[in-house]
Order: sequence, then C-alpha cells, then structure tokens
Amino acid sequence: MEGSENQKHFFDLKIPLGCLLGFYGILLVAYGLLGPSDIYERSLSLNVNLDWGILMIVISGAFLIFAYRRKKA
Amino acid sequence: MNMNFIDYLILGAYVLVTIIVGYSLRKYMKTSEDFFLSGRSLPSWITSLAFLSANLGALEVIGMVANSAKYGILTVHFYWIGAIPAMIFLGLFMMPFYYGSKVRSVPEYLKLRYNEATRGLNAISFATMTLLMSGISMYAMALLFELTLGWSLTSSILLSALVVLIYVFFGGLSSSIYNEVIQFFLIWLGLLPVVYIGLHAVGGFEGLVQRIPASFFQAWRHMGSAANNPMGVDWLGVVLGLGFVLSFGYWTTDFLVVQRALASEDLAAAQRTPIVASFPKMLVPIIVVIPGLLAVALLPQFKIVPGGPTPDYNSALILMFAHYLPNGILGLAITGLLASFMSGMAGNVTAFNTVWTYDIYGSYIKKGMPDQHYLKMGKYATVFGVLFSIGTAYIVRSFPNLMDYMQLLFSFLNAPLFATFLLGMFWKKATPWGGFWGLLLGIFAAATHYLLYRLGVVHYASEMAANFYQAWWAWCTDFVITIVVSSFTVKKDESTLVGLVYSLTPRMRSEGSLFRKPMFWGVLSLVVMILLNVIFW
Repeated sequence: MEGSENQKHFFDLKIPLGCLLGFYGILLVAYGLLGPSDIYERSLSLNVNLDWGILMIVISGAFLIFAYRRKKA
Repeated sequence: MNMNFIDYLILGAYVLVTIIVGYSLRKYMKTSEDFFLSGRSLPSWITSLAFLSANLGALEVIGMVANSAKYGILTVHFYWIGAIPAMIFLGLFMMPFYYGSKVRSVPEYLKLRYNEATRGLNAISFATMTLLMSGISMYAMALLFELTLGWSLTSSILLSALVVLIYVFFGGLSSSIYNEVIQFFLIWLGLLPVVYIGLHAVGGFEGLVQRIPASFFQAWRHMGSAANNPMGVDWLGVVLGLGFVLSFGYWTTDFLVVQRALASEDLAAAQRTPIVASFPKMLVPIIVVIPGLLAVALLPQFKIVPGGPTPDYNSALILMFAHYLPNGILGLAITGLLASFMSGMAGNVTAFNTVWTYDIYGSYIKKGMPDQHYLKMGKYATVFGVLFSIGTAYIVRSFPNLMDYMQLLFSFLNAPLFATFLLGMFWKKATPWGGFWGLLLGIFAAATHYLLYRLGVVHYASEMAANFYQAWWAWCTDFVITIVVSSFTVKKDESTLVGLVYSLTPRMRSEGSLFRKPMFWGVLSLVVMILLNVIFW
C-alpha cells in the first residue's frame, strides 16, 4: 500500500461553505421581508428570518473574502 | 410541525451541496491513503472542526438536550470534565506516537506496539461497534423525522443512507471530513435561534435562573453524595468513571475521532487538532444544555412535578423547535440536525472501512495486494457498511434509551482500552501478551460487572453511576492484568519500539511562534475549562 504524494491537493472548502450559507442568508432575508408575517407569532413577534438571514450573509461574505484572498496570495 | 416549501428548499440545498462536494473529490482519490486518510494533507482548522463534529452526532445533540432537561446543568460534566482533559492529553502526549509512527489506524498501532492478536481483538470489536453506532444514529434520525415531519421511518432511513453512501463512496475520508465541517456551522446556526428566542421568552438568562430549581444551575455543589443530585452519581464516580476512564477511553483511542487528526498535514497540525477542537467543545453546552433548561422552564410537559409522570425527554429539542421556530429558521434547524445525523453516520462508515480494509481484510484475508486493490475494497466496504447500518437501525428500534445503550457499549469496549494504550505508550516493559490479556480481561470485567449489576448483586443509586463505575473497574482490571502478565512474558526488543513508546522516542522540539505550539493551546484550554467549572460550581 503506497503512500500519498502528500500535497495540498483538495479544493478550498470555504468556497462551497460560503456559497451555501450565502444562499441560506439571501433566502431567509427574502422570506423575512416578503413572506407571511403571521408565522412570527411563534417566535414572540421577532422576525428571526430577517435577523438570522443578515447574520448568515455576513458569515458567508467572510468565508468568500478569505477564500478569495488566499487564492490571490 | 409543518415544514413548508422554504424549509424544504433549505434542506434540499444542503443535500445537494454535500453530494457535489463528495462527488468533486473523486478525482483526488488515487491511492488508498487518499481515500482512508485524506492523503495526510488537511490543515488543522478543518481537522479540528471535523474532530469535534464527528462526535457531535445525532445521539449527542438529542441525548444531551434530553439529559439537560432531566438533570440540569450536571450535563456539562460530559463536556467540561468528560472531554476536555482527554482531548488535551491526546494532542500533547499521544499524538506524537499515533502520527509520528505513521500508523494508519488505531488497531495498527496496537499491532506495532503489542502483537497481531491485540490488533485483531481491537479491530474486530471496533468495526462491529462502529457499524452498530451508525445504525443507532440512523434510527434516531428516522425517528426524529417520523415525529416531526411525518416521514415514514423506512423512507428517511433509505434516503439518508443513500446520500451518505454517495459521498463517502466517491470522496472517502475527505468527503466525510468536509461534510463534518459544513455540519459544524449548520448545527450552530441551526440551534442558536431556539436559544435566542427561548431566552427572549423567559426574560434573559436571569429569567431562566428564576424559573427553574437552583440545583439545576450548580454543577458540583450537590455531587457530595449520589443521593443528593438527580443524576444519582457522586463526584468520585464522575471524576474517575466519566472524566478519566470513559472520556479518555473514547477521545484518545476511538479511531472515529483519532482518524481526523491522522488526516492532518503534519505532526504539529495533528497535535493541534484535538486541542483546538477543545475550545468549541467547551461551548457546545450553549446549544445543548440551554435548550434543555429552556424546555423545563417553558414547556408545560417538562415542568418538574414530584411524583408526576416521566416526560419523554428525548423529544425536548424537537418540541422546542415546534413551539418557537417559524418557517425558514425551522428548515435551518432541521437541516442542522439532519447534517449532524448524516455526518455522524458518515464518520462511522469511514472509520469502519479503514479498519476493515487495513486491519482485517489487508491483514488476515488478503495480504500484500497492490494498493489499487485496497482502494477498491474500501469502496466495497463503504457499501457493505451502509447496508449493515440499515439492518442495525431496525434492530435498535427495540432499545428505548439510546444514550444509555451507547454508554454501555463504550464501557465494555473502550474503557479497558485506554489502560492498554497508557501502558503501551508510557511503560516500555509492557509485553505483547500482557497487552492482549489485559485488554481481553478488561472487556470481560466490564461485561461481568454489568451482569452483576443487572442481577442485583451490586447496587448503585442510578444506571449512570453503574456505567461510570463499571468503566472504572474495567480500566483497573486491564491495568493490573497487563502489568501482571507483562512480568512473566517475553518482552519486545527495544529497537522495535522506537517511535511507539515515550521513553524510547527522541523528543521533538516544536518550532515556530508561540501560537503554533500545541502546549500553549493545551494549557490555555485547561485554564478556561477550570474557570468554567468554578463559575458554575
């Protein structure tokens, strides 16, 4: 059983991860703004979709910026 | 609980990304080491998060929320005493021998340090246990979806098994690790909203404190005797059984977690893997203990009524979701749980296929074949492992308390194992047969103790106390038997033990800045752990 060449040969995980979280963020923000508002009775009238969506867009942006800077370096 | 199109869109996007990630890794899988050990090429931030997530599976999340609703903050013992010291010990003291000796699995270390019989015993018991665990995870997931979404047990078992099969088949350990990292973020982002809304509902942390009994917030104050706390365990049982034996046995010898560190790019990264992982590990109680406490404070069915009926604690988390999460965020929370279920299962399957291929098939069935043969066998083992897990999922339906069942298996197999490793790595006079008999009789001691407990010969205040002490006695048996048998059996030649035993291995000085040194992070982690224990004393 021979060993591997031990090179850094996998792709950068930050890209798919950033894309997935970004997609979730946009989806939640859009749903928070345009979707029904009676569903927030459960969450004590906090529009958590909007808040959480914005947070996820920020996290996703951080991942993508780091991935981009690493690629350039 | 009604999921709508937006929830399903979130769930679907996750499944799609995991499959794409797994499938696009297929072109990198050229050798068996690429498939089983990610070509030893991953940076430590990835392996650390995977190290943590591999353990943060289905049972962990649901079971720990259940424990918190039942026992309150005592559940933090599973984190702040029951995991952190072992993770630091693994990184600082054991990783040099695991990674440094270039073994590909935990059983392989046992073969080099002791003998073929010891490896065989460990490899076979580990492979079996791993598939059982995988089946348990799958069953837990299916049950969750049956309860919450009304999906049939069979369709969710088959669907999740298929997704895991696809991504592990193509991408091996790398796929599994990448998905564990994705899961790490999803479980946090998925569970924090319920903490946020729940705390809002009780009026912040102070409100929560007021609404539930004070003993639910004191981690050590009531541990003086087993009768005074809801867990029915005294501090000695927690420290020796859980903190020392069970947690060291799991975190330092279970190949499922150790494999993540072996995938690191170099020794320093391998050492940092469990140590860096210990920091987020200390924070996990935020997403498991707080939801459990919130369930007690907010949901009428978990209100503490002396002499009342026992609530179904395992449903605490899901009921919190159903009660407080609107569509959208609900889909995210369900996806976080699904991700932890699937990556827990994938972790088991990858650990199984490695041990099966290297330590069972490649050692006893077909030795010395070309590397491509073993690569192919790893893929077949993946298919077999998934099929066997499906079978197990249906068998474990009859076991009601999954968490206890898991601990039972751990204490039979893992508890004595840590004694074998401790003596193997730090006492050069341990002999091959000393290791074998110590391990075998340690497992036997655990089984005997369990039998005596079940028959009512020995008594404990609770089942959990019985588990903790059982682990302790199994460990002691292994420790003593290994030393006794070693005193009259043939020792290994010292030259064959270089790199495997502490006193015979030249010390390596770690280079670079303070922030790259494993020791720095290890000490820092220990200090934070002690502070947390003091704050919640």
